[in-house]
Amino acid sequence: MLIPHPLLGLRDAQEFTYLGDAALLDRPSPEGEGAEAAFCDYVFLRGNPAGVHRELWFHEHGDRSWLVVTRNTLTHEILGAELASEVAKALRGAAE
Amino acid sequence: MTRIPGGLIDRSQTLTFSFNGRSYTGHPGDTLASALLANGVRLMGRSFKYHRPRGPVSAGSEEPNALVTLRSGARAEPNTRATVAELYEGLTARSQNHVGPLGFDALAVNDLLSPFFAAGFYYKTFMWPRAFWEKLYEPMIRRAAGLGALSGEADPDAYDRGYLHCDLLVIGAGAAGLSAALTAARAGAQVVLADEDFRLGGRLLAESDPLDEAPAPDWVAAVDAELRALPNVRILSRTTVFGAYDHGIFGAVERVADHLPEPGALVRQTLWRITAKRSVLAAGATERHIPFAANDRPGILLAGALRAYANRWAALPVARPQDRIAVFTNNDDGHRTALDLLAKGANLLGVIDPRVDAPRFGDYQLFAGAQVTGTHGRLGLSSIEITRDGRADWLECHALGVSGGWNPNLHLASHHRGRPVWNEELLAFVPGEGGPRGLIPAGACAGRGSTSAALKDGARAAQAALSELGISAALPRLPGAEDKPLRQSAFWHVSGKARAWVDFQNDVTVKDIALAHKENMRPVEHLKRWTTLGMATDQGKTANVTALAVMAELTGKSVAETGTTIFRPPYTGVSLSVLGGGDTGKDFRPTRLTPTHHWAEAQGAAFTEVGPWLRAQYFPRPGETHWRESVDREATAVRSAVGLCDVTTLGKIDVQGSNAGEFLDRVYSNMMGTLKVGRVRYGLMLREDGHLYDDGTCARMAEDHYVVTTTTGNAGLVYRNMEFARQCLWPELDVQILSTTDAWAQIAVAGPRSRELLSRIVDGFDLSNAAFPFMACASLTVCGGLRARIFRISFSGELAYEIAVPARYGAALMQRLMEQGADLGVTPYGTEALGVLRIEKGHAAGAELNGQTTAAMLGLGRMVSDKKDSIGAVMSRREGLAGDRRRLVGLLPEDPNVPVVPGSHLFTPGAPQDMAHDQGWITSACVSPHVGRSIGLGVLEDGDCRIGELILAVNPLEGTKAALRVVPPHFVDPEGARLRD
Amino acid sequence: MTDLIPLTVFGAETPRQTAPGALALAERPDIAIASLALRRGTAGAAPFGLLLPGPGGLAAAQAHLAFWTGAGQWMVLAEGLADTDFAAALRDAAPGCSVTEQTDGWTVVDVTAPEPLIARLLERLVNLPPEALAPGRATRCQMHHLPVHALRLSSSRLRLLAMRSATASLWHALETAGQRLALP
Repeated sequence: MLIPHPLLGLRDAQEFTYLGDAALLDRPSPEGEGAEAAFCDYVFLRGNPAGVHRELWFHEHGDRSWLVVTRNTLTHEILGAELASEVAKALRGAAE
Repeated sequence: MTRIPGGLIDRSQTLTFSFNGRSYTGHPGDTLASALLANGVRLMGRSFKYHRPRGPVSAGSEEPNALVTLRSGARAEPNTRATVAELYEGLTARSQNHVGPLGFDALAVNDLLSPFFAAGFYYKTFMWPRAFWEKLYEPMIRRAAGLGALSGEADPDAYDRGYLHCDLLVIGAGAAGLSAALTAARAGAQVVLADEDFRLGGRLLAESDPLDEAPAPDWVAAVDAELRALPNVRILSRTTVFGAYDHGIFGAVERVADHLPEPGALVRQTLWRITAKRSVLAAGATERHIPFAANDRPGILLAGALRAYANRWAALPVARPQDRIAVFTNNDDGHRTALDLLAKGANLLGVIDPRVDAPRFGDYQLFAGAQVTGTHGRLGLSSIEITRDGRADWLECHALGVSGGWNPNLHLASHHRGRPVWNEELLAFVPGEGGPRGLIPAGACAGRGSTSAALKDGARAAQAALSELGISAALPRLPGAEDKPLRQSAFWHVSGKARAWVDFQNDVTVKDIALAHKENMRPVEHLKRWTTLGMATDQGKTANVTALAVMAELTGKSVAETGTTIFRPPYTGVSLSVLGGGDTGKDFRPTRLTPTHHWAEAQGAAFTEVGPWLRAQYFPRPGETHWRESVDREATAVRSAVGLCDVTTLGKIDVQGSNAGEFLDRVYSNMMGTLKVGRVRYGLMLREDGHLYDDGTCARMAEDHYVVTTTTGNAGLVYRNMEFARQCLWPELDVQILSTTDAWAQIAVAGPRSRELLSRIVDGFDLSNAAFPFMACASLTVCGGLRARIFRISFSGELAYEIAVPARYGAALMQRLMEQGADLGVTPYGTEALGVLRIEKGHAAGAELNGQTTAAMLGLGRMVSDKKDSIGAVMSRREGLAGDRRRLVGLLPEDPNVPVVPGSHLFTPGAPQDMAHDQGWITSACVSPHVGRSIGLGVLEDGDCRIGELILAVNPLEGTKAALRVVPPHFVDPEGARLRD
Repeated sequence: MTDLIPLTVFGAETPRQTAPGALALAERPDIAIASLALRRGTAGAAPFGLLLPGPGGLAAAQAHLAFWTGAGQWMVLAEGLADTDFAAALRDAAPGCSVTEQTDGWTVVDVTAPEPLIARLLERLVNLPPEALAPGRATRCQMHHLPVHALRLSSSRLRLLAMRSATASLWHALETAGQRLALP
């Protein structure tokens, strides 16, 4: 597969390490009553859809950026890739 | 000899080769099959199941029959298709799958027993008694049914890999492929043209039809020359593109040296990973045969192959030139073979065509409305039975070309589950939707197989592919070529009671398909597995569609409704050696060497692999006969004097930024932000699920600068996780990280005399306990101005330091410390002694941090701070983990002569030894020179409250049981006075 | 000056130079290396007159050279300064940046060969489109299973930064490839 790196263009998937569901960006708050339950979901429950999925890939053999790659798991079509740091910043900005 | 005039062989040179020990000659340009046929040899092997005599059916990579073992010794390559093995001087080949000589195979008795070997016979026959399968049936079947055998020796050849990137990959260099490549090449696109043959041209080399009134090979040669002269074209001959993968990535094997007696300095094969923006599949078509009674004899070939042998290789598959040859065809293309044979002066019996209105194209006898209904000839065809209007005649005939139409080679177009589509007009499957994106099938593999159509189609496909890339390509002027209409009939097989082969290689007959139908194995996937149709090394290239048509006829469905099985890579067989990429032995993967590696080598150290690293394991001295002697001596030296150990392999990560402390507070379970500059703290890292995964030290070099160490094995993982934390979890923090593992050589200086030793090399640095206490760190210079870092940390429990210098000075520093410490008893120690020292001290390492343990289990529960959030903190407090009462303990055998066996499980004496009563396990063990016997560490249920108890260590794998005393996990200096001294 | 004698990664006092096939391989222990990363609130830096390049880029000014290694991160090389505290000099020249000494983290290997040969060598070693390593481009990539910074200094010069500890493995891969490329 070829991953469309937002800074470096198409790079072979061999250069990347795969992590999985991009929901891992949304780490729950450690505070409050429901923290443990929220962390249980965060750690153990992942989306694994047959279809379009947002996933985390690490450019281990490249610039070492974490990417959020939107991929159709049925066809391997890749619909886009963003820097995870940008996605995370937007996520935290929205939460605040 | 049946070598005839003409052909694309170089008669100016003669090559000598041997088959089954007999010597023959051929010419450059020959394949092994063509050379054998030219020598009158057509029996080349035995069939898989019935051991029937077989000769080549095809003239290409689809060959099911003519499989030989090429070369000998370690280079022996079984199951090589003689039809694609390029002849070279001194080639040796042997036939396979027979007992005794090829002409009299003792296992041919299987043919007489064929009623027992019908479809599904494995499943039906060898079911009982059950115990017989492994001992009797399987070995027997494996011996009787099969292919060639491997030599069992290591592959002596080198292999290589490479990566190509191009605008357009053209797969196949026949009419369509060459015109596609020419179109793209002239437009300036980056082109890769790959073809499995050793000569470009594909089918153009096998046909007699001219291009622009000249022989087709002339045009091929001109295009070849033009393409080779262009810098933007890469031609890969002898290269099979075997698979289409995601996003325009293709796998290809180039047979660099398979046409040479030995590769010499060359690699034998190269694995290419080709990334193509667009691709044209011009893989041509494979002819299919027509099953009829005893249609598998040597001398019965595909009509197009017969034509190819005559035109390209100047060989006829008969023993004598005057032997009679016939053609059995359901289509017009078969008649071309008859015409070419006539032109070559062969003795043509005629053309048998089941079509009542079959056309005649030349001066030959036409058996219209007739069928071939039987054959004779024990080791090769001698006569055929022709049946017309119910009347059967046996006629002398020594070779027969059979044509049942052509199947497009659409395999690669279906590698992404793209389903082929049945075309009723072409009577063939053609590429359908859902193929690899950017791949355009062209020419015969797209169902456009006349030479003229293929030439035009290739050029058009290239033009269309490039226009999507914004490259405009002009269509080249293409030569005038034959454009005969494809006329054929849906005549799939000759009915009859005798066996008629569909899949030659796996011995599947029409009767087997009928049986599968009767037994309700009708869906194609069932048919395939029940009969083993298409499951041989040729993957049924000449068989599958015919079999589907037979099944369709039996079920009364159309072929379209019957469908096909899925195509998967590889298109043809690929050797494991080339997939391995070529690096073997010590070069199989990279090795990392420490800065003192060469020094340690010179000391005679034994080395051990730790991940990719080679580390000194121990340093034997003269007279020491067992590794334990060396290890005991090294460990004792550390406890009594001073030892030196290269610890460069520990991961080092530089952490900087105004939020570096806060960042580390979140990735370590304990507090790091409060660490004072110039101090070091031991740290734990948890997974988010609350389990421990790494430990190390964290040194604060400046307000905004930390140096973190990780275990050797987890350096990469910790780095990746820290980048995850930095980029994905807390992108608002100002923190920058970088691995500096290789930049610094780090040497542990451990033992009561370590301070004394170091004081001799530091440049005026105060090492006194007051000025530089336990867990202090500093930048300094040593040995007259060399920049260095010093950390007062201890893994052994002794007074100890680690000193780091730029890596290039590592070996010199080690040597200097050895010289300076000679009078102090300085001793280099390796990983074994390191392990002994840390077990004696009760320090957790990889065996304790195995992913199943928590901080509390290792007695480090207080290191998970509840004053802050950190990765894994919340989950470490969940009931299941917090309630785990197993604790790290020391274990001491009651009998000093009994070893402690790591991996043993712990049980209360008297309790049953089963899962339900498991009390924990032994993580680490060693023989301790300090204690004077074997000691161990383990995690034990309520371990911290059971000090003094006797426990039973059981290891069913090793068959050992031992009574151990539970002791605190510190065998030396439990108060930690020594390291603070 | 220390009296300790620095050794190359091969355990020698002089840098290794070999010429497998038509390639020339030269170890460059004289080159100092330090990384540079922008801190929050730092807009940019221009140490030693270098114009820090964008993704995949390379910039040179006199004896200094910088290449992009990641978002807001560069590696800076200085010829002949390996025996100095180059990281400290870079820190002074790039205020508001995080600087890490890397001189001994990497072995610098210069590969010199005619342009077509460099192209063939890269085909064997790295799965990147040729434009990613066109003259003036630099990228971190994977060669022989190893992380390598590859810098295309010119059409005929390729500079590789190999993890110091694994240099022997990369050197072996380069020599093997060089010898094979010399064959007909």
